[in-house]
Amino acid sequence: MKRFECFEFLAPMITSQLVVGSLSGQRVEWGHICKHEGNLLVAAMGAALGVAVGLSLVLPHRKVIALESDGSLLLSLYNLPTLGNLNPGNLVVLVFDNEVYSGTRISEPSATAGKTDLAGVARSCGIERATTVRDLQSFKRETTQALNENALSFIVCKVDQTTGHREVQRPTEDLWEHKYRFVRYLEKTEGKPIFLGRG
Amino acid sequence: MEPELAKRLVDGLKEAGISFVSYLPETRLSQIVPLLRADSSFMVVSVANESEAVSISAGASLAGRPAAVYFEGSGVYVSSYNLLVLGKRLGVPMLLIVAYYGSIRDKRNSFLYAFPGIHLIPILESLQIQYEVFENGECLEDKMKGAVKMMHAIKQPVALLFTGEFTI
Repeated sequence: MKRFECFEFLAPMITSQLVVGSLSGQRVEWGHICKHEGNLLVAAMGAALGVAVGLSLVLPHRKVIALESDGSLLLSLYNLPTLGNLNPGNLVVLVFDNEVYSGTRISEPSATAGKTDLAGVARSCGIERATTVRDLQSFKRETTQALNENALSFIVCKVDQTTGHREVQRPTEDLWEHKYRFVRYLEKTEGKPIFLGRG
Repeated sequence: MEPELAKRLVDGLKEAGISFVSYLPETRLSQIVPLLRADSSFMVVSVANESEAVSISAGASLAGRPAAVYFEGSGVYVSSYNLLVLGKRLGVPMLLIVAYYGSIRDKRNSFLYAFPGIHLIPILESLQIQYEVFENGECLEDKMKGAVKMMHAIKQPVALLFTGEFTI
């Protein structure tokens, strides 16, 4: 299963959902496939899931999707016990696990190439609906269900190591511009000011 | 900290407009936690790691709840990466409520705390995070309002460091 194929399936399903992404090729690929204003691609390892949790708690009526990777999640496993206890029903976590630190260009294996089972870690942290998918058909089934139900879902998506993102045009929007676009979209759709202060 | 000072701190946060607090509990300011939890105007989230607190409060802030993070001074070290990539690089306003352990006016200071404590302000300055040190309750509410106004103005974290009378 290729991450790009998963994104091609997921992107048309995005309407009012908020999508928080981390780093690696997935930021480039998702930003290329989906131009939705509800994207918040924080471009940092180990930070996207926490940001998604904060969004999901404050906006319980909005579906929030966290796009994580094995490397990023391994860097921030402390999120999982908190997530298990908070149990926000509007949050879907998709962990694209290619079992390598592909950004290093040397295919250094991550812990998930060995004995580590991220869905098992999540379950032991109290996240009941944690599962692993290994083919596109299973990905489609699980994500469709997760997006349509009000329950915390944690889906580890075993994907091939690919380099397709290196052929995709990288975003030119800088992070402050990206943030403002996201916040103005939220202000418009939530009908409330977010950035406070007077000019 | 005297109960009255803890109450003023929490009331001051509320008056300044803070409505979301993530935290990792510590010793010196811990009296504020039950007060925060007892006030329904605050959404309060306990975490396992200070980095996570910064990330969660960043999300809350971007969702429209003016957010704070409460932790011990060591939390600034632990979360410095998240403060840098979310607070500074992405530019997310949040208030850091920091127990300034290991400072000269820390009434619980010892060899355990002094060495980390003396590095706290240099770390904040290296991150170019604005900060204010509080030794007592003088002008507490006004300074907290000013700090929150500052964080909204620059869309970055601003830190409040509590020592002296807050560390009893």
